[in-house]
Amino acid sequence: MVQKNDFKLIKCGNLIDCTGNAPVKNGAILLESSKIKSIGHESNVIPPEGASIKVYDYSKYTVMPGMVDCHTHNNGFGDGRLGEELNLLADEILTLQSIRNLRASLFSGVTTIRENGPKNFTLINLKKASNDYMVLTPRMLICGRPLSIIGGHMGYFGSEVTGIDEVRAETRNLIKQGADYIKITATGGSTQTSFRYRHSFNLDELNAITSEARKFGKLTATHCVSTQGIVNSIKSDVDMIIHCMFNEPDGSNKFRPEIVDDLFNKGTYINPTLHVVRATIWDLLNIKERIGLTGSQEKLLDDRKRDFDIHLNNCTKMIDSGLKFITGSDSSWSSYQSGNTVYETECLNMAGLSNMASLLSVTKEAAKSLDIDDLVGTLEIGKEADLLVLNSNPLEDISNLWDVKDVFLAGRYIDRGSEKSLKSIRQLRPSLN
Amino acid sequence: MTKLNSFRLIKGERIIDAKGGDVLERGAILLQGDKIISIGREEDVIPPEGSQVEEIVYENKTVLPGLVDCHVHLNGIGDGRKGDQLNLLPDEILTLQAAKNARTHLFSGVTTVRDCGAKNSTTLRLREAVEMGITVAPKLVLAGRPMAIIGGHLWWFGIQATGPNECRAHVRQLVKEGVDFIKITASGGSTGTSVPLRPSFNLEEMNAIVDEAHKFGKHTAAHCTNSQSMINALDAGIDTIIHGVYNEPDGDRSYRPDITERIVDQGVFLNPTIHQSRERIWQLEEKSQNQKLNPEEVEELNTTKEGHEQRIEEVSKMWEAGVKIVCGSDSAWANYKMGRFQADINSHISIGMSPMEAILSATNLSAQSCCIDDQVGTLEVGKNADILVVEGDPSKNIDDLWNIVDIYQDGNLIDRGNYI
Repeated sequence: MVQKNDFKLIKCGNLIDCTGNAPVKNGAILLESSKIKSIGHESNVIPPEGASIKVYDYSKYTVMPGMVDCHTHNNGFGDGRLGEELNLLADEILTLQSIRNLRASLFSGVTTIRENGPKNFTLINLKKASNDYMVLTPRMLICGRPLSIIGGHMGYFGSEVTGIDEVRAETRNLIKQGADYIKITATGGSTQTSFRYRHSFNLDELNAITSEARKFGKLTATHCVSTQGIVNSIKSDVDMIIHCMFNEPDGSNKFRPEIVDDLFNKGTYINPTLHVVRATIWDLLNIKERIGLTGSQEKLLDDRKRDFDIHLNNCTKMIDSGLKFITGSDSSWSSYQSGNTVYETECLNMAGLSNMASLLSVTKEAAKSLDIDDLVGTLEIGKEADLLVLNSNPLEDISNLWDVKDVFLAGRYIDRGSEKSLKSIRQLRPSLN
Repeated sequence: MTKLNSFRLIKGERIIDAKGGDVLERGAILLQGDKIISIGREEDVIPPEGSQVEEIVYENKTVLPGLVDCHVHLNGIGDGRKGDQLNLLPDEILTLQAAKNARTHLFSGVTTVRDCGAKNSTTLRLREAVEMGITVAPKLVLAGRPMAIIGGHLWWFGIQATGPNECRAHVRQLVKEGVDFIKITASGGSTGTSVPLRPSFNLEEMNAIVDEAHKFGKHTAAHCTNSQSMINALDAGIDTIIHGVYNEPDGDRSYRPDITERIVDQGVFLNPTIHQSRERIWQLEEKSQNQKLNPEEVEELNTTKEGHEQRIEEVSKMWEAGVKIVCGSDSAWANYKMGRFQADINSHISIGMSPMEAILSATNLSAQSCCIDDQVGTLEVGKNADILVVEGDPSKNIDDLWNIVDIYQDGNLIDRGNYI
């Protein structure tokens, strides 16, 4: 726990505050307990006289805000298993896996996560334990459980609802149980009983959910892997569209510029989850290298490669249209393990975001999309001191975000443990490609 | 994961094999995979010819078996909160706490624990998670939920049984869920609705529980904080008595040599949990150095001290009479946090044990009481390579057990910096 009047002076060789301003050489940050008291060029950051101050000398390093990952699934293993299999595990086990994932994220430099779909009360109770300092986690914004139709995507996590009264009731339940925002699966997905290319909730149901959420000041986010889901979400004033894939009911992909215009006009945040598709490709390539692929795996690999290329191309067009793109990893869903958020930021970079814009997509803009930019996302006076210290400069190469030296959460230095254990977090690129 | 054909040669300045003999000077242990395949003087331990051997030399250090704590409560927090409050936490949180405690204890040198009572399925789930590689823990010997009467001690962990039939049914259910032994609260305790000075189960119920457990090859351990409950437990053929306090129903404390004699004759283990109260004494004394204790704390300190002195006196007599005394911390119950098992081992010095005897009570004998001595507790050929390396010589100074250098579990060197 942080003591009052506990001052720390962080010397920063290269200070990126992620407000969008140019980096400051020889910068400094003065922390008072969990907050930033003063920040700027070191000559302007003067500790109060007579106060006892702990100095951290990062004059050879880059200091930036801790990363914000707006899309995580902490129950998962990232080992390719289906959600249907995952959800057979006992809640206690899913909870233990969740804390492991959350620590991996934190140690990799992610100091805030949004949780997009856990089972039952696992994350609700885990957040309680974190709030009581029983376990160490990043800051957490949780949905409780995703809202789904009967048989819809992630319905097995515990909230299958039908009709405007039931959807309102479950929205109220989730908020009562501690949900910070409402996650809705507006289309089917990888869940086998769901229809990937069709929308799930009817528009009146979706409207009921979003209006109920708004009434209590809660944000909404919809999973959309087909176009009608995006259209419905726009009509319902959803705050964030996840995946944002333009698939037609027949499975074909048709990019829709007029929908992109609507998204632009609404100011909707887009979380495109590119790497979760690539993670499956990498997984298959690794298997191919080790033992070779079966016919159906070869087909899956080709399909995923095509999906990825189409989606990447669509993302580039959306970025060019000025949509607000956010890093949200979707780990540990599918084959994407927690603690590897940077792969998604690299994908956004590949889709066309500049290095600075990529960096903001995982800091300032991500915090704005979660409505917590008054607390985190940039390094400014009055904000929480969530800091990421890097050995190298991510503005030169976004991959330098991997190069973590130290992490601070709410002004507290995080003991991340042994090098060996930290190394085990990173998923490796396949050598085949 | 250790490979079956990987050999590891561990050399130590001193080896304590915990079989009861002398310290072995300049000894060596040869491991193959997770097992010990040879142990003895350095010159006598020869790896198979042509084999790849990783050699680790511990100069000026002592090598001994990983510690076996025969009494933990992994659900506990050790911040003084009562079980009556603890049990209100959801199972997910109690499981998280169990994982945290298990890791802390492992990193402090304890490679086997026996959990003497947890809520619902929390500890069993923890074991599943360990098997899945989600988290690390010492070897777990589990009771699951303890057997309690209605309103009896630890009832809120999930079982309140009445009558021999219900008792048998609960034992069968526990066995079905995979427990390793049956914990019985044979008297009341700190649970608000229980009566600590009276027995809980009737003898016929005790008989049913112990008989059913033994039928399946499961051992039994009974929480006893009064004399009558000890007599009942002994009548029923119990394997371990926990606490073992000589209280009369009127609150009188009068030592009963006749009961002690029965404990010796029946070969029952006693886990006296001596340090639990001393930990509280230490905390209050430390607090009093910096600030004035409030009247309740002064009162608490005095009564705890008095109780602790009586306890030392009682247990000393039991030790002298030949009772098999085993070390089990009772952490993280009450005020005793996990990762401090060494303090309980140290408390055995105060009942008259030599440092070597105290070590045996926390390794060999403790493993025997947990019925896991075929795997751990001593350094012998065929046993699992659960090994502790410490600075100094704990057979001379017991507190050298705190100076951990390395810990091996099933032949694997534990990364004590693994926080994931």
